[in-house]
Amino acid sequence: MKKNLLSAFLVILVVMVLALTPRDWYPRSVRVKLFNWFGAQDYRIPPVTLPLPAMNKENPCPDDVLGWREGQNIAGIYVEESKVCMPDNPEAVAAFVLGTNNVPHFVLMRSKLAPDAVVKGADLDGDGDPDVIHIRLEVMELNGNSPDLNVPITTYDIAPGVQPGFWVFSPKSIGMSTINFESRVAQPMIRMPSPVIRVEQGDQVKVTLENTHYMPHTIHFHGVDHPFVDADGNGNDGVPQTSEVPVLPGESRTYVMSPRQTGTMFYHCHVQPQVHIRMGLNGMFVVEENRPNNWVQTLNVGGGHVRFPSESSREDYDREFDMMYLDVDKQANDLIKKHSDPRLTTKEMNRVFDITDGTADYFLLNGRSFPYTIRESIIYVKPDEKVKLRVLNGGDAGLSLHTHGHKVTITHYDGIEAQSKITRDVVWLSSAQRLDLELNTTNDGLHSYGEGIWIVHDHQETGTTTDGANPGGDVTAIVYEDYQHPNGMPKTQGVPVDKFFSPEFYQRKVPVWLDWDPWNRFGDVAIRHSELIHMGAYGTAIGAFLATLGALLKYLFRRRGEIQ
Amino acid sequence: MTGRHNIPIRLIFALLLLLSSGLSHRAWSESENMVNKDENLPAAHAVSIMNRGKAEHKMTLDDEGMVMNWNDNQLPIDCEAIEDEHQFTVHAGIKYAEPYPGTVFGMKPHEYHVKPCSRITVTFINDDQIRHQWMVHGLPKYLYDQGMFHLEAAGGATKSGTFIVPSDDKTYLVHCDLAQHMEKGMKAQLVVASGSGNLSSIPGVSGPFESQHFTRWKDRLEILLISMAGSFIAFGLLWRYLD
Repeated sequence: MKKNLLSAFLVILVVMVLALTPRDWYPRSVRVKLFNWFGAQDYRIPPVTLPLPAMNKENPCPDDVLGWREGQNIAGIYVEESKVCMPDNPEAVAAFVLGTNNVPHFVLMRSKLAPDAVVKGADLDGDGDPDVIHIRLEVMELNGNSPDLNVPITTYDIAPGVQPGFWVFSPKSIGMSTINFESRVAQPMIRMPSPVIRVEQGDQVKVTLENTHYMPHTIHFHGVDHPFVDADGNGNDGVPQTSEVPVLPGESRTYVMSPRQTGTMFYHCHVQPQVHIRMGLNGMFVVEENRPNNWVQTLNVGGGHVRFPSESSREDYDREFDMMYLDVDKQANDLIKKHSDPRLTTKEMNRVFDITDGTADYFLLNGRSFPYTIRESIIYVKPDEKVKLRVLNGGDAGLSLHTHGHKVTITHYDGIEAQSKITRDVVWLSSAQRLDLELNTTNDGLHSYGEGIWIVHDHQETGTTTDGANPGGDVTAIVYEDYQHPNGMPKTQGVPVDKFFSPEFYQRKVPVWLDWDPWNRFGDVAIRHSELIHMGAYGTAIGAFLATLGALLKYLFRRRGEIQ
Repeated sequence: MTGRHNIPIRLIFALLLLLSSGLSHRAWSESENMVNKDENLPAAHAVSIMNRGKAEHKMTLDDEGMVMNWNDNQLPIDCEAIEDEHQFTVHAGIKYAEPYPGTVFGMKPHEYHVKPCSRITVTFINDDQIRHQWMVHGLPKYLYDQGMFHLEAAGGATKSGTFIVPSDDKTYLVHCDLAQHMEKGMKAQLVVASGSGNLSSIPGVSGPFESQHFTRWKDRLEILLISMAGSFIAFGLLWRYLD
């Protein structure tokens, strides 16, 4: 009796399973037969396009609440106007020009710089500017781990909501590392990239590394004329294997140099460089020509515009921008978010992580990716100007830098003046290389094709992405005055840019072509629930079939046993 | 045989799963409460916030460091008089981290007990070559800007300062606010009267809020699977024997 019931049920289930098997799983020949017998399938209207998902859009260009964009006189120093949406702190610029030992107390307080961050001393050659310079750098961690929170702390965003882990050299500061106790946001002097260091040729320069970080570090001055050992015979080259034991946490070391050659150079940590450099411990080092009354802006923290150019720069150029490029592998940089115990982090970084398996995910210009580059690091120009660009590739990937609408002239390679000046629209910078570029905005069809918003980007297309999302990466633009809003933002005329100022875009939750196609053809498709219900029914039928089959077999097996 | 025991094991797993997801959800919401939402402020806005009310700041700054919001005579509104005097000598330096594996930056001591309405004088000695801070948070904002008393000593320097605490039972956070210094050991607590419970992650006093693992997940999973299989077999045999 039971056997008959089970058998009948099994037959029904076989029919159900076959009927519920998705048609596209049948062999093509069967599908052709079905088509011939029954004709085409009925039309079912495909699901609708989903509307734009909720986005936390930021204000693309916040108000200039403290009037930082304007040219201004601070403690007798005229800090030039900076026509970008979010310019650098002019008070910090003044402190870096005069020396933190020579500025009024309020300037230090408002810029959070230590009184000995940049100490300027004697005028050795009597030409009206200080030649004894002592710079103190600390090492800070951004977007690191906390044993008590499951979110990054001392945060720094390269793009909306994008917070890779970083270590950065920062000017010695005072007070808290965040803007206040209630906030996790890093105070503005602690940011990517490490500051550009600018000195005059022949200056007696000391750079003290105060290692405020929990791992050992050094500084190697790449391309800067420096002795292998200091006056006491201590290592001065920053290489752990050949020059010196690294500076341990809580310790400090002073590097000395008196550069005889000018040019755009490089500095970086030389401890486990396959990780430490791209963690952010690298920066540009500029040796300016010696001129009378040449007060240089010793540190440049921020978007790259030199708001107090050197005398030689003023002679030849209308404006100067420092441009630091860096590619970052989140596999390495995000290791600091994983553990609180530095022993575990060290093991992961030095032995588990293998750079040869790595790929870069983030591409930074002056510590930010698009769209933040547009509000901090645009190259703003007027027609018939000459603008100096100092470009450094601090990263591991090459940089195929392309200027739309312009052909730039390479004036210096790695700080050395070019024998023959080459003008081109793609310049190649391999790792650690520097190029000084002259951007001529004369509309002659060669140097410039006229006014506009001309983007500047790495033409290796990886460089235009942020963790795979485009537009992102190190894209910025040459923007002519007539194409700028009063707040410095470019008057763009393509797709709406507000979407890019949301974390959701860089989490890839927002369809890229959604907001400007009037027919809404490229949005996300709504879920067709019937497909899921179908799969549920199919699964249920298969399960019931298998269970019934098992029961029947068991029954038959037992019966046979009883007979025996 | 197996079918019979499948159900209880699944039930146990389902319960564990529910419990763990419930717990992790709770942990998330608690830590969320500790997090401020003002992420990613533009630099100028950040600076304007940082300098809000700076005019009333009581502060000295020199090459040796900084003292902020010292107060040796103004009483909190809930105190009628200074009830007690405390003198603490605090050391900062990497060598004080040695007793606590997994920390790098050290301070000593990590806990201070005082009576309500006490006047506290801290002498902060920095044995390192970099700056360190001794910062108390959560003090009444009508007396202390941002509710904070702050000593900062340059490398090798000593700074002292005095402040007065209110009368309520409260545990105050003391730390160094250089990036990662608190997370790597420079965290302490100031307990007024019986306090309001221990803070997390204080070396020698309390554990972290987020659980820490020192073994690899692979190893833990391996042990989990082996012990599951072992107990499955053992209990299977047991029930079979009892059948």
